[in-house]
Amino acid sequence: MKHKLLIGVIFLALASPAQAGPRETIMELLAAEAQVANSSYSGFSAAAGEALFLATFTTGKPETTSCTTCHTNSPSNVGETRAGKPIDPMATSVTPDRYTDQAKVDKWFRRNCNSVLGRECTAQEKGDFLTFMINQ
Amino acid sequence: MAVPKNIAKLQVRVWDLPTRIYHWGQLILVAAALLLGFFGPEWWLDAHVYVGYAIIAFIVFRLIWGVWGPEYSRFSNFLFSPKAVIAHIKKLVSGRPSHFLGHNPLGSLMVFALILILALLSISGLTVLGGVENQGPLAGFASFSLGTLARIGHEFLAYLLVGMIVAHIFGVLFESYMSKTSLTRAMVDGRKPVTEDQRPATLYPVRKEGGMIIAFGVICVIGAVGALASTMPASGLIAMPVNESFQSECADCHQVYHPSLLPRESWVSLMGNLSDHFGEDASLGADTTNEIMSYLSRYAAQAWDTEAANFLSLVDEKHPFQITATPFWISRHANIPQEIFRTKPVNSKANCSACHKDAAGGMFADQNIQIAHGQN
Ligand code: HEC
Ligand code: HEC
Ligand code: HEC
Repeated sequence: MKHKLLIGVIFLALASPAQAGPRETIMELLAAEAQVANSSYSGFSAAAGEALFLATFTTGKPETTSCTTCHTNSPSNVGETRAGKPIDPMATSVTPDRYTDQAKVDKWFRRNCNSVLGRECTAQEKGDFLTFMINQ
Repeated sequence: MAVPKNIAKLQVRVWDLPTRIYHWGQLILVAAALLLGFFGPEWWLDAHVYVGYAIIAFIVFRLIWGVWGPEYSRFSNFLFSPKAVIAHIKKLVSGRPSHFLGHNPLGSLMVFALILILALLSISGLTVLGGVENQGPLAGFASFSLGTLARIGHEFLAYLLVGMIVAHIFGVLFESYMSKTSLTRAMVDGRKPVTEDQRPATLYPVRKEGGMIIAFGVICVIGAVGALASTMPASGLIAMPVNESFQSECADCHQVYHPSLLPRESWVSLMGNLSDHFGEDASLGADTTNEIMSYLSRYAAQAWDTEAANFLSLVDEKHPFQITATPFWISRHANIPQEIFRTKPVNSKANCSACHKDAAGGMFADQNIQIAHGQN
Protein backbone atom coordinates (compact mmCIF):
# COMPACT_ATOMS: atom_id res chain seq x y z
CA MET A 1 0.00 0.00 0.00
CA LYS A 2 2.84 2.38 0.83
CA HIS A 3 4.39 2.33 -2.64
CA LYS A 4 0.99 2.61 -4.33
CA LEU A 5 0.48 5.73 -2.26
CA LEU A 6 3.86 7.04 -3.27
CA ILE A 7 3.13 6.46 -6.93
CA GLY A 8 -0.17 8.26 -6.49
CA VAL A 9 1.53 11.24 -4.89
CA ILE A 10 4.20 11.42 -7.56
CA PHE A 11 1.54 11.14 -10.21
CA LEU A 12 -0.54 13.91 -8.69
CA ALA A 13 2.48 16.09 -8.09
CA LEU A 14 3.46 15.73 -11.72
CA ALA A 15 -0.09 16.18 -12.96
CA SER A 16 -0.72 19.43 -11.15
CA PRO A 17 2.50 21.40 -10.98
CA ALA A 18 0.58 24.68 -11.11
CA GLN A 19 -0.86 24.55 -7.56
CA ALA A 20 1.88 23.09 -5.38
CA GLY A 21 1.10 25.08 -2.17
CA PRO A 22 1.62 23.07 1.00
CA ARG A 23 -2.13 22.89 1.69
CA GLU A 24 -2.83 21.55 -1.78
CA THR A 25 -0.12 18.95 -1.33
CA ILE A 26 -1.74 17.85 1.92
CA MET A 27 -5.14 17.56 0.22
CA GLU A 28 -3.68 15.66 -2.72
CA LEU A 29 -1.95 13.26 -0.43
CA LEU A 30 -5.19 12.64 1.41
CA ALA A 31 -7.05 12.15 -1.85
CA ALA A 32 -4.47 9.63 -2.99
CA GLU A 33 -4.66 7.83 0.31
CA ALA A 34 -8.47 7.80 0.22
CA GLN A 35 -8.41 6.37 -3.29
CA VAL A 36 -6.09 3.60 -2.24
CA ALA A 37 -8.28 2.75 0.75
CA ASN A 38 -11.54 2.81 -1.16
CA SER A 39 -11.82 2.18 -4.89
CA SER A 40 -15.26 3.83 -5.06
CA TYR A 41 -13.78 7.10 -3.76
CA SER A 42 -15.44 10.06 -5.47
CA GLY A 43 -13.87 13.16 -3.97
CA PHE A 44 -14.29 14.91 -0.58
CA SER A 45 -17.52 16.41 0.73
CA ALA A 46 -17.78 19.59 2.80
CA ALA A 47 -21.20 18.45 4.05
CA ALA A 48 -19.74 15.19 5.38
CA GLY A 49 -16.95 17.25 6.94
CA GLU A 50 -19.45 19.47 8.67
CA ALA A 51 -21.35 16.43 9.94
CA LEU A 52 -18.14 14.98 11.39
CA PHE A 53 -17.30 18.33 12.95
CA LEU A 54 -20.66 18.62 14.70
CA ALA A 55 -21.21 14.95 15.59
CA THR A 56 -21.09 13.65 19.15
CA PHE A 57 -19.28 10.38 19.79
CA THR A 58 -19.38 7.92 22.64
CA THR A 59 -16.44 5.86 21.45
CA GLY A 60 -13.70 8.29 22.52
CA LYS A 61 -12.64 9.71 25.85
CA PRO A 62 -15.51 10.94 28.03
CA GLU A 63 -13.91 14.40 28.40
CA THR A 64 -13.92 15.01 24.64
CA THR A 65 -17.05 13.80 22.89
CA SER A 66 -16.96 16.12 19.87
CA CYS A 67 -14.64 18.30 17.80
CA THR A 68 -16.83 21.16 19.03
CA THR A 69 -15.72 20.52 22.63
CA CYS A 70 -12.66 22.61 21.86
CA HIS A 71 -13.25 24.16 18.45
CA THR A 72 -16.79 25.46 19.28
CA ASN A 73 -19.62 24.72 16.89
CA SER A 74 -18.55 27.34 14.37
CA PRO A 75 -15.27 27.09 12.42
CA SER A 76 -14.90 30.85 12.52
CA ASN A 77 -15.02 31.07 16.32
CA VAL A 78 -12.00 31.11 18.58
CA GLY A 79 -11.94 27.80 20.41
CA GLU A 80 -10.51 26.83 23.77
CA THR A 81 -8.55 23.87 25.10
CA ARG A 82 -9.77 22.19 28.26
CA ALA A 83 -7.07 24.03 30.15
CA GLY A 84 -8.45 27.32 28.85
CA LYS A 85 -5.90 28.17 26.16
CA PRO A 86 -7.45 29.88 23.11
CA ILE A 87 -7.42 28.02 19.77
CA ASP A 88 -7.43 30.03 16.56
CA PRO A 89 -10.55 29.50 14.42
CA MET A 90 -10.40 26.44 12.17
CA ALA A 91 -11.73 28.13 9.00
CA THR A 92 -8.93 29.10 6.64
CA SER A 93 -10.84 32.27 5.78
CA VAL A 94 -10.19 33.43 9.35
CA THR A 95 -6.87 31.71 10.02
CA PRO A 96 -5.10 31.63 6.65
CA ASP A 97 -2.07 29.60 7.71
CA ARG A 98 -4.08 26.56 8.80
CA TYR A 99 -3.43 23.12 7.25
CA THR A 100 -0.13 24.10 5.70
CA ASP A 101 2.17 21.95 7.81
CA GLN A 102 1.90 18.23 7.12
CA ALA A 103 3.39 17.20 10.46
CA LYS A 104 1.05 19.47 12.40
CA VAL A 105 -2.04 18.27 10.54
CA ASP A 106 -1.01 14.63 11.06
CA LYS A 107 -0.28 15.18 14.72
CA TRP A 108 -3.62 16.78 15.51
CA PHE A 109 -5.73 14.41 13.44
CA ARG A 110 -4.03 11.53 15.24
CA ARG A 111 -4.58 13.05 18.66
CA ASN A 112 -8.00 14.59 18.25
CA CYS A 113 -9.60 11.71 16.37
CA ASN A 114 -8.21 9.35 18.96
CA SER A 115 -9.59 11.51 21.79
CA VAL A 116 -13.01 12.09 20.23
CA LEU A 117 -13.71 8.98 18.12
CA GLY A 118 -11.45 6.58 19.97
CA ARG A 119 -9.67 5.67 16.74
CA GLU A 120 -7.68 7.25 13.93
CA CYS A 121 -9.73 9.09 11.29
CA THR A 122 -9.77 7.69 7.76
CA ALA A 123 -8.31 9.66 4.87
CA GLN A 124 -11.86 10.22 3.67
CA GLU A 125 -12.87 11.76 7.01
CA LYS A 126 -9.79 13.95 7.16
CA GLY A 127 -10.31 15.14 3.61
CA ASP A 128 -13.99 15.88 4.22
CA PHE A 129 -13.13 17.79 7.38
CA LEU A 130 -10.46 19.91 5.70
CA THR A 131 -12.69 20.55 2.67
CA PHE A 132 -15.36 21.90 5.01
CA MET A 133 -12.82 24.14 6.76
CA ILE A 134 -11.30 25.41 3.53
CA ASN A 135 -14.70 26.16 2.00
CA GLN A 136 -15.92 28.21 4.94
CA MET B 1 27.91 71.71 91.41
CA ALA B 2 25.61 73.03 94.07
CA VAL B 3 22.92 70.59 95.08
CA PRO B 4 19.52 72.24 94.79
CA LYS B 5 17.43 72.20 97.96
CA ASN B 6 14.27 70.84 96.47
CA ILE B 7 15.83 67.95 94.65
CA ALA B 8 12.56 66.05 94.24
CA LYS B 9 11.33 68.57 91.75
CA LEU B 10 14.45 68.45 89.65
CA GLN B 11 14.00 66.87 86.27
CA VAL B 12 16.89 65.25 84.47
CA ARG B 13 16.98 64.52 80.75
CA VAL B 14 17.61 60.79 80.86
CA TRP B 15 16.63 59.65 77.39
CA ASP B 16 18.22 61.57 74.57
CA LEU B 17 16.21 62.22 71.41
CA PRO B 18 17.86 59.52 69.23
CA THR B 19 17.18 56.89 71.91
CA ARG B 20 13.55 57.95 72.14
CA ILE B 21 13.17 57.87 68.35
CA TYR B 22 14.82 54.46 68.42
CA HIS B 23 12.41 53.21 71.06
CA TRP B 24 9.16 54.36 69.46
CA GLY B 25 10.37 53.66 65.93
CA GLN B 26 11.34 50.14 66.87
CA LEU B 27 7.94 49.72 68.53
CA ILE B 28 6.14 50.67 65.31
CA LEU B 29 8.43 48.50 63.16
CA VAL B 30 8.13 45.46 65.42
CA ALA B 31 4.35 45.83 65.60
CA ALA B 32 4.22 46.09 61.80
CA ALA B 33 6.51 43.08 61.34
CA LEU B 34 4.46 40.98 63.75
CA LEU B 35 1.13 41.95 62.19
CA LEU B 36 2.40 41.36 58.65
CA GLY B 37 4.05 38.11 59.65
CA PHE B 38 1.09 36.65 61.49
CA PHE B 39 -1.81 38.07 59.50
CA GLY B 40 -0.50 39.43 56.20
CA PRO B 41 -1.27 37.50 53.02
CA GLU B 42 1.67 35.74 51.34
CA TRP B 43 2.01 38.35 48.63
CA TRP B 44 2.79 41.05 51.20
CA LEU B 45 6.05 39.33 52.01
CA ASP B 46 8.01 42.29 50.63
CA ALA B 47 6.47 44.60 53.22
CA HIS B 48 7.41 42.21 56.04
CA VAL B 49 10.95 41.92 54.66
CA TYR B 50 11.47 45.68 54.28
CA VAL B 51 10.22 46.28 57.80
CA GLY B 52 12.73 43.61 58.83
CA TYR B 53 15.55 45.45 57.09
CA ALA B 54 14.56 48.64 58.94
CA ILE B 55 14.60 46.72 62.24
CA ILE B 56 18.13 45.54 61.47
CA ALA B 57 19.21 49.14 60.80
CA PHE B 58 17.63 50.18 64.12
CA ILE B 59 19.40 47.37 66.01
CA VAL B 60 22.74 48.37 64.51
CA PHE B 61 22.09 51.96 65.52
CA ARG B 62 21.21 50.92 69.06
CA LEU B 63 24.32 48.76 69.43
CA ILE B 64 26.54 51.64 68.35
CA TRP B 65 24.61 54.14 70.45
CA GLY B 66 25.13 51.80 73.38
CA VAL B 67 28.87 52.34 73.05
CA TRP B 68 29.21 55.86 71.67
CA GLY B 69 25.95 57.45 72.77
CA PRO B 70 25.24 59.69 75.76
CA GLU B 71 25.37 58.60 79.41
CA TYR B 72 22.05 56.84 79.99
CA SER B 73 21.96 55.16 76.59
CA ARG B 74 25.34 53.52 77.07
CA PHE B 75 25.32 49.83 77.84
CA SER B 76 27.93 50.49 80.52
CA ASN B 77 25.31 52.59 82.31
CA PHE B 78 22.97 49.67 82.70
CA LEU B 79 25.30 46.71 82.70
CA PHE B 80 24.63 45.09 86.08
CA SER B 81 26.41 42.17 87.66
CA PRO B 82 24.30 39.09 88.47
CA LYS B 83 24.79 40.02 92.12
CA ALA B 84 23.26 43.44 91.51
CA VAL B 85 20.33 41.86 89.69
CA ILE B 86 19.70 39.45 92.58
CA ALA B 87 20.00 42.27 95.08
CA HIS B 88 17.46 44.27 93.07
CA ILE B 89 15.04 41.36 92.97
CA LYS B 90 15.40 40.83 96.73
CA LYS B 91 14.55 44.45 97.41
CA LEU B 92 11.68 44.22 94.97
CA VAL B 93 10.25 41.18 96.76
CA SER B 94 10.58 42.92 100.12
CA GLY B 95 8.47 45.72 98.67
CA ARG B 96 11.14 48.44 98.85
CA PRO B 97 12.91 48.44 95.49
CA SER B 98 15.49 51.08 94.74
CA HIS B 99 14.86 53.27 91.75
CA PHE B 100 17.26 54.05 88.98
CA LEU B 101 17.49 57.04 86.75
CA GLY B 102 18.42 54.87 83.79
CA HIS B 103 17.29 51.26 83.32
CA ASN B 104 16.96 49.23 86.51
CA PRO B 105 18.62 45.78 86.55
CA LEU B 106 15.50 43.95 85.41
CA GLY B 107 14.68 46.56 82.78
CA SER B 108 18.23 46.30 81.61
CA LEU B 109 17.92 42.54 81.21
CA MET B 110 14.79 43.13 79.16
CA VAL B 111 16.55 45.65 76.91
CA PHE B 112 19.39 43.25 76.17
CA ALA B 113 16.98 40.35 75.68
CA LEU B 114 14.84 42.36 73.26
CA ILE B 115 17.87 43.42 71.22
CA LEU B 116 19.12 39.83 71.18
CA ILE B 117 15.80 38.34 70.13
CA LEU B 118 15.32 40.96 67.41
CA ALA B 119 18.80 40.16 66.10
CA LEU B 120 18.01 36.42 66.10
CA LEU B 121 14.68 37.09 64.40
CA SER B 122 16.49 39.09 61.72
CA ILE B 123 19.08 36.39 61.08
CA SER B 124 16.53 33.57 61.03
CA GLY B 125 14.21 35.65 58.83
CA LEU B 126 16.97 36.27 56.29
CA THR B 127 17.75 32.54 56.33
CA VAL B 128 14.11 31.66 55.59
CA LEU B 129 14.04 34.26 52.82
CA GLY B 130 17.23 32.89 51.30
CA GLY B 131 16.65 29.18 51.80
CA VAL B 132 12.92 28.85 51.19
CA GLU B 133 12.18 31.77 48.88
CA ASN B 134 15.59 31.95 47.17
CA GLN B 135 15.65 35.68 47.71
CA GLY B 136 17.59 38.26 49.69
CA PRO B 137 21.21 38.44 50.81
CA LEU B 138 21.39 34.80 51.96
CA ALA B 139 19.84 33.29 48.80
CA GLY B 140 23.28 32.32 47.58
CA PHE B 141 24.16 30.53 50.81
CA ALA B 142 21.10 29.05 52.51
CA SER B 143 19.74 25.67 51.41
CA PHE B 144 16.06 24.85 51.50
CA SER B 145 16.42 22.53 54.50
CA LEU B 146 18.32 25.20 56.43
CA GLY B 147 15.58 27.64 55.47
CA THR B 148 12.82 25.37 56.78
CA LEU B 149 14.73 24.88 60.03
CA ALA B 150 15.15 28.64 60.32
CA ARG B 151 11.42 29.03 59.72
CA ILE B 152 10.67 26.94 62.80
CA GLY B 153 13.08 29.09 64.81
CA HIS B 154 11.71 32.32 63.33
CA GLU B 155 8.15 31.43 64.26
CA PHE B 156 9.13 30.29 67.76
CA LEU B 157 11.07 33.50 68.36
CA ALA B 158 8.13 35.56 67.11
CA TYR B 159 5.84 34.02 69.73
CA LEU B 160 8.55 34.47 72.35
CA LEU B 161 8.84 38.13 71.33
CA VAL B 162 5.12 38.65 71.81
CA GLY B 163 5.47 37.19 75.31
CA MET B 164 8.44 39.43 76.07
CA ILE B 165 6.61 42.52 74.86
CA VAL B 166 3.77 41.71 77.25
CA ALA B 167 6.30 41.25 80.07
CA HIS B 168 8.04 44.50 79.09
CA ILE B 169 4.79 46.49 79.22
CA PHE B 170 3.89 44.88 82.54
CA GLY B 171 7.35 45.71 83.92
CA VAL B 172 7.10 49.33 82.82
CA LEU B 173 3.64 49.75 84.38
CA PHE B 174 4.80 48.06 87.60
CA GLU B 175 7.94 50.18 87.89
CA SER B 176 5.98 53.33 87.08
CA TYR B 177 3.57 52.49 89.88
CA MET B 178 6.32 51.67 92.37
CA SER B 179 8.44 54.72 91.59
CA LYS B 180 5.43 57.01 91.07
CA THR B 181 7.00 58.22 87.85
CA SER B 182 5.55 57.46 84.44
CA LEU B 183 8.29 55.62 82.57
CA THR B 184 6.20 55.88 79.41
CA ARG B 185 6.08 59.66 79.66
CA ALA B 186 9.80 59.68 80.36
CA MET B 187 10.35 57.83 77.10
CA VAL B 188 8.32 60.54 75.34
CA ASP B 189 9.91 63.73 76.70
CA GLY B 190 13.06 62.09 78.00
CA ARG B 191 12.74 63.58 81.49
CA LYS B 192 12.70 61.87 84.87
CA PRO B 193 12.56 63.43 88.34
CA VAL B 194 15.65 62.91 90.44
CA THR B 195 15.25 61.51 93.95
CA GLU B 196 17.74 61.45 96.76
CA ASP B 197 18.90 57.88 96.65
CA GLN B 198 19.76 58.01 92.99
CA ARG B 199 23.33 57.57 92.02
CA PRO B 200 24.64 60.59 90.19
CA ALA B 201 25.34 60.37 86.52
CA THR B 202 29.00 59.99 85.75
CA LEU B 203 28.50 62.28 82.79
CA TYR B 204 30.57 61.10 79.88
CA PRO B 205 31.54 63.83 77.50
CA VAL B 206 28.50 63.71 75.21
CA ARG B 207 29.62 63.59 71.62
CA LYS B 208 26.39 62.74 69.88
CA GLU B 209 27.73 63.53 66.41
CA GLY B 210 30.45 60.90 66.67
CA GLY B 211 28.03 58.11 67.51
CA MET B 212 25.62 59.24 64.81
CA ILE B 213 28.30 59.27 62.15
CA ILE B 214 29.59 55.85 63.14
CA ALA B 215 26.06 54.43 63.18
CA PHE B 216 25.24 55.94 59.80
CA GLY B 217 28.47 54.63 58.29
CA VAL B 218 28.07 51.10 59.67
CA ILE B 219 24.43 50.90 58.53
CA CYS B 220 25.47 51.99 55.03
CA VAL B 221 28.24 49.41 54.88
CA ILE B 222 25.94 46.60 56.10
CA GLY B 223 23.27 47.71 53.61
CA ALA B 224 25.78 47.71 50.76
CA VAL B 225 27.13 44.27 51.67
CA GLY B 226 23.55 42.97 51.88
CA ALA B 227 22.62 44.50 48.53
CA LEU B 228 25.72 43.02 46.93
CA ALA B 229 25.04 39.57 48.43
CA SER B 230 21.47 39.78 47.12
CA THR B 231 22.79 39.92 43.57
CA MET B 232 24.45 36.52 43.96
CA PRO B 233 22.69 33.71 42.10
CA ALA B 234 20.36 31.79 44.43
CA SER B 235 21.88 28.47 45.48
CA GLY B 236 18.61 26.61 44.83
CA LEU B 237 18.37 27.58 41.17
CA ILE B 238 20.32 26.06 38.29
CA ALA B 239 20.94 27.27 34.76
CA MET B 240 18.53 25.54 32.40
CA PRO B 241 18.75 25.78 28.61
CA VAL B 242 15.57 26.17 26.58
CA ASN B 243 14.38 23.07 24.76
CA GLU B 244 12.43 24.05 21.66
CA SER B 245 10.46 20.81 21.38
CA PHE B 246 9.37 21.01 25.00
CA GLN B 247 8.49 24.70 24.75
CA SER B 248 6.33 24.24 21.67
CA GLU B 249 4.85 20.73 22.05
CA CYS B 250 3.91 21.04 25.68
CA ALA B 251 2.42 24.50 25.24
CA ASP B 252 -0.19 23.46 22.65
CA CYS B 253 -2.97 22.83 25.14
CA HIS B 254 -1.79 24.59 28.29
CA GLN B 255 1.05 26.67 29.65
CA VAL B 256 4.40 24.93 29.90
CA TYR B 257 4.97 23.52 33.37
CA HIS B 258 8.40 24.17 34.78
CA PRO B 259 10.46 20.95 34.87
CA SER B 260 11.18 21.50 38.60
CA LEU B 261 7.52 20.97 39.46
CA LEU B 262 7.64 17.16 39.28
CA PRO B 263 10.27 14.56 40.15
CA ARG B 264 12.12 12.56 37.49
CA GLU B 265 9.99 9.40 37.86
CA SER B 266 6.81 11.43 37.35
CA TRP B 267 8.03 13.00 34.12
CA VAL B 268 9.11 9.63 32.78
CA SER B 269 5.72 8.16 33.55
CA LEU B 270 3.90 11.19 32.10
CA MET B 271 5.89 10.99 28.87
CA GLY B 272 5.20 7.26 28.67
CA ASN B 273 1.45 7.84 28.87
CA LEU B 274 0.96 10.74 26.46
CA SER B 275 -1.73 8.94 24.48
CA ASP B 276 -3.88 8.99 27.60
CA HIS B 277 -3.02 12.40 29.01
CA PHE B 278 -5.67 13.79 31.38
CA GLY B 279 -8.49 12.59 29.18
CA GLU B 280 -6.81 13.46 25.90
CA ASP B 281 -4.44 11.98 23.40
CA ALA B 282 -1.34 14.15 23.51
CA SER B 283 0.93 11.66 21.76
CA LEU B 284 4.11 12.68 19.97
CA GLY B 285 6.56 10.93 17.66
CA ALA B 286 9.07 8.64 19.38
CA ASP B 287 12.04 10.95 18.78
CA THR B 288 10.33 14.02 20.16
CA THR B 289 8.97 12.02 23.10
CA ASN B 290 12.45 10.80 23.99
CA GLU B 291 14.01 14.21 23.56
CA ILE B 292 11.47 15.88 25.87
CA MET B 293 11.64 13.00 28.34
CA SER B 294 15.40 13.29 28.76
CA TYR B 295 15.18 17.07 29.04
CA LEU B 296 12.52 16.85 31.74
CA SER B 297 14.39 14.11 33.61
CA ARG B 298 17.53 16.17 33.62
CA TYR B 299 15.90 19.31 35.00
CA ALA B 300 13.31 17.61 37.21
CA ALA B 301 12.62 18.56 40.83
CA GLN B 302 15.68 16.67 42.06
CA ALA B 303 17.95 19.17 40.31
CA TRP B 304 16.51 22.18 42.16
CA ASP B 305 16.37 23.39 45.75
CA THR B 306 13.29 25.60 45.67
CA GLU B 307 10.21 25.41 47.86
CA ALA B 308 8.07 24.24 44.93
CA ALA B 309 10.56 21.54 43.85
CA ASN B 310 11.03 20.26 47.39
CA PHE B 311 7.36 20.04 48.25
CA LEU B 312 5.81 19.15 44.91
CA SER B 313 8.14 16.19 44.48
CA LEU B 314 6.13 14.42 47.16
CA VAL B 315 3.52 13.25 44.67
CA ASP B 316 0.25 11.42 45.18
CA GLU B 317 0.83 7.73 44.40
CA LYS B 318 -2.49 7.47 42.56
CA HIS B 319 -1.81 10.48 40.32
CA PRO B 320 1.97 10.39 40.01
CA PHE B 321 2.24 13.17 37.46
CA GLN B 322 -0.50 15.54 38.50
CA ILE B 323 0.93 18.58 40.25
CA THR B 324 -2.50 19.66 41.47
CA ALA B 325 -2.97 16.28 43.19
CA THR B 326 0.15 16.55 45.38
CA PRO B 327 -0.66 16.90 49.08
CA PHE B 328 1.35 20.13 49.23
CA TRP B 329 -0.53 21.69 46.33
CA ILE B 330 -3.87 20.71 47.81
CA SER B 331 -3.11 22.04 51.28
CA ARG B 332 -1.59 25.29 50.01
CA HIS B 333 -4.60 26.03 47.83
CA ALA B 334 -7.26 24.79 50.25
CA ASN B 335 -8.39 28.30 51.16
CA ILE B 336 -9.14 29.33 47.59
CA PRO B 337 -12.85 28.98 46.70
CA GLN B 338 -13.41 26.17 44.17
CA GLU B 339 -15.50 28.61 42.18
CA ILE B 340 -12.39 30.59 41.20
CA PHE B 341 -10.75 27.52 39.67
CA ARG B 342 -13.81 26.68 37.60
CA THR B 343 -14.57 30.11 36.19
CA LYS B 344 -12.79 32.51 33.90
CA PRO B 345 -10.13 33.77 33.76
CA VAL B 346 -8.51 31.01 35.84
CA ASN B 347 -10.55 28.15 34.34
CA SER B 348 -8.49 25.37 35.85
CA LYS B 349 -6.38 24.46 38.86
CA ALA B 350 -3.64 23.66 36.41
CA ASN B 351 -3.57 27.23 35.12
CA CYS B 352 -0.77 28.19 37.51
CA SER B 353 0.22 31.38 35.70
CA ALA B 354 -3.24 32.88 36.22
CA CYS B 355 -2.28 33.41 39.87
CA HIS B 356 1.50 32.99 39.90
CA LYS B 357 3.08 35.66 37.74
CA ASP B 358 6.42 33.88 37.90
CA ALA B 359 5.13 30.33 37.24
CA ALA B 360 7.09 30.02 34.00
CA GLY B 361 10.38 30.36 35.88
CA GLY B 362 9.40 27.82 38.56
CA MET B 363 9.94 30.31 41.40
CA PHE B 364 6.42 30.72 42.79
CA ALA B 365 7.59 33.57 45.03
CA ASP B 366 5.12 34.83 47.60
CA GLN B 367 5.23 38.35 46.20
CA ASN B 368 4.17 37.16 42.76
CA ILE B 369 0.93 35.59 43.85
CA GLN B 370 -2.08 37.47 42.56
CA ILE B 371 -5.36 35.68 42.06
CA ALA B 372 -6.63 36.66 38.64
CA HIS B 373 -10.13 38.07 38.66
CA GLY B 374 -12.68 38.46 35.89
CA GLN B 375 -12.76 41.60 33.79
CA ASN B 376 -16.19 42.64 35.06
C1 HEC C 1 -9.49 18.63 23.45
C2 HEC C 1 -9.59 19.73 22.56
C3 HEC C 1 -9.77 19.43 21.08
C4 HEC C 1 -10.73 18.64 20.49
C5 HEC C 1 -11.86 17.87 21.16
C6 HEC C 1 -10.46 18.69 19.09
N1 HEC C 1 -9.39 19.48 18.83
FE1 HEC C 1 -8.54 19.84 17.03
N2 HEC C 1 -7.11 20.95 17.91
C7 HEC C 1 -7.02 21.23 19.23
C8 HEC C 1 -5.83 22.00 19.49
C9 HEC C 1 -5.38 22.53 20.84
C10 HEC C 1 -5.20 22.20 18.26
C11 HEC C 1 -3.89 22.94 17.96
C12 HEC C 1 -4.00 24.39 18.21
C13 HEC C 1 -3.93 25.21 16.98
O1 HEC C 1 -3.58 24.70 15.93
O2 HEC C 1 -4.24 26.41 17.08
C14 HEC C 1 -6.03 21.52 17.27
C15 HEC C 1 -5.70 21.46 15.95
C16 HEC C 1 -6.40 20.72 15.04
C17 HEC C 1 -6.00 20.54 13.68
C18 HEC C 1 -4.74 21.12 13.03
C19 HEC C 1 -4.95 22.51 12.53
C20 HEC C 1 -3.81 23.02 11.70
O3 HEC C 1 -3.67 24.25 11.68
O4 HEC C 1 -3.05 22.25 11.14
C21 HEC C 1 -6.93 19.75 13.11
C22 HEC C 1 -6.92 19.28 11.69
C23 HEC C 1 -7.92 19.43 14.13
N3 HEC C 1 -7.58 20.04 15.28
C24 HEC C 1 -9.01 18.63 13.90
C25 HEC C 1 -9.89 18.23 14.89
C26 HEC C 1 -10.97 17.29 14.69
C27 HEC C 1 -11.31 16.63 13.37
C28 HEC C 1 -11.60 17.13 15.88
C29 HEC C 1 -12.80 16.22 16.19
C30 HEC C 1 -12.66 14.85 15.76
C31 HEC C 1 -10.90 17.94 16.83
N4 HEC C 1 -9.88 18.61 16.20
C32 HEC C 1 -11.21 18.00 18.17
C33 HEC C 1 -7.88 20.83 20.22
C34 HEC C 1 -8.95 19.97 20.02
C1 HEC D 1 -3.54 17.69 23.54
C2 HEC D 1 -3.47 18.63 24.59
C3 HEC D 1 -2.26 18.51 25.52
C4 HEC D 1 -0.94 18.46 25.21
C5 HEC D 1 -0.31 18.48 23.83
C6 HEC D 1 -0.22 18.37 26.46
N1 HEC D 1 -1.10 18.40 27.51
FE1 HEC D 1 -0.62 18.34 29.45
N2 HEC D 1 -2.59 18.44 29.95
C7 HEC D 1 -3.64 18.54 29.05
C8 HEC D 1 -4.87 18.65 29.77
C9 HEC D 1 -6.26 18.78 29.16
C10 HEC D 1 -4.54 18.63 31.14
C11 HEC D 1 -5.49 18.76 32.31
C12 HEC D 1 -5.54 20.24 32.60
C13 HEC D 1 -6.56 20.63 33.59
O1 HEC D 1 -6.86 19.86 34.50
O2 HEC D 1 -7.01 21.78 33.47
C14 HEC D 1 -3.10 18.49 31.20
C15 HEC D 1 -2.38 18.45 32.39
C16 HEC D 1 -1.01 18.35 32.46
C17 HEC D 1 -0.28 18.27 33.70
C18 HEC D 1 -0.87 18.24 35.09
C19 HEC D 1 -1.37 19.56 35.54
C20 HEC D 1 -2.01 19.40 36.90
O3 HEC D 1 -3.23 19.42 36.99
O4 HEC D 1 -1.27 19.22 37.86
C21 HEC D 1 1.03 18.18 33.38
C22 HEC D 1 2.19 18.08 34.34
C23 HEC D 1 1.14 18.20 31.94
N3 HEC D 1 -0.14 18.32 31.42
C24 HEC D 1 2.32 18.12 31.24
C25 HEC D 1 2.39 18.11 29.87
C26 HEC D 1 3.63 17.96 29.13
C27 HEC D 1 5.00 17.80 29.74
C28 HEC D 1 3.31 18.01 27.82
C29 HEC D 1 4.26 17.89 26.63
C30 HEC D 1 4.82 16.59 26.45
C31 HEC D 1 1.86 18.18 27.73
N4 HEC D 1 1.35 18.23 28.99
C32 HEC D 1 1.16 18.28 26.56
C33 HEC D 1 -3.54 18.55 27.69
C34 HEC D 1 -2.36 18.48 26.97
C1 HEC E 1 -6.57 30.55 41.70
C2 HEC E 1 -5.21 30.95 41.82
C3 HEC E 1 -4.10 29.91 41.87
C4 HEC E 1 -3.80 28.94 40.93
C5 HEC E 1 -4.52 28.64 39.64
C6 HEC E 1 -2.62 28.28 41.42
N1 HEC E 1 -2.22 28.83 42.61
FE1 HEC E 1 -0.58 28.31 43.70
N2 HEC E 1 -1.10 29.62 45.17
C7 HEC E 1 -2.18 30.48 45.10
C8 HEC E 1 -2.26 31.21 46.36
C9 HEC E 1 -3.29 32.26 46.70
C10 HEC E 1 -1.20 30.75 47.16
C11 HEC E 1 -0.85 31.19 48.58
C12 HEC E 1 -1.63 30.34 49.52
C13 HEC E 1 -1.26 30.62 50.95
O1 HEC E 1 -0.30 30.02 51.41
O2 HEC E 1 -1.92 31.44 51.55
C14 HEC E 1 -0.48 29.76 46.38
C15 HEC E 1 0.66 29.09 46.82
C16 HEC E 1 1.42 28.27 46.01
C17 HEC E 1 2.71 27.75 46.36
C18 HEC E 1 3.46 28.05 47.64
C19 HEC E 1 4.17 29.36 47.45
C20 HEC E 1 4.78 29.89 48.70
O3 HEC E 1 5.87 30.43 48.61
O4 HEC E 1 4.13 29.84 49.74
C21 HEC E 1 3.15 26.99 45.31
C22 HEC E 1 4.48 26.27 45.19
C23 HEC E 1 2.11 27.01 44.32
N3 HEC E 1 1.09 27.81 44.78
C24 HEC E 1 2.16 26.32 43.12
C25 HEC E 1 1.14 26.31 42.18
C26 HEC E 1 1.18 25.52 40.96
C27 HEC E 1 2.32 24.62 40.55
C28 HEC E 1 0.01 25.77 40.30
C29 HEC E 1 -0.45 25.18 38.98
C30 HEC E 1 -0.43 23.73 38.88
C31 HEC E 1 -0.75 26.74 41.10
N4 HEC E 1 -0.03 27.03 42.24
C32 HEC E 1 -1.98 27.25 40.75
C33 HEC E 1 -3.05 30.63 44.04
C34 HEC E 1 -3.10 29.82 42.92
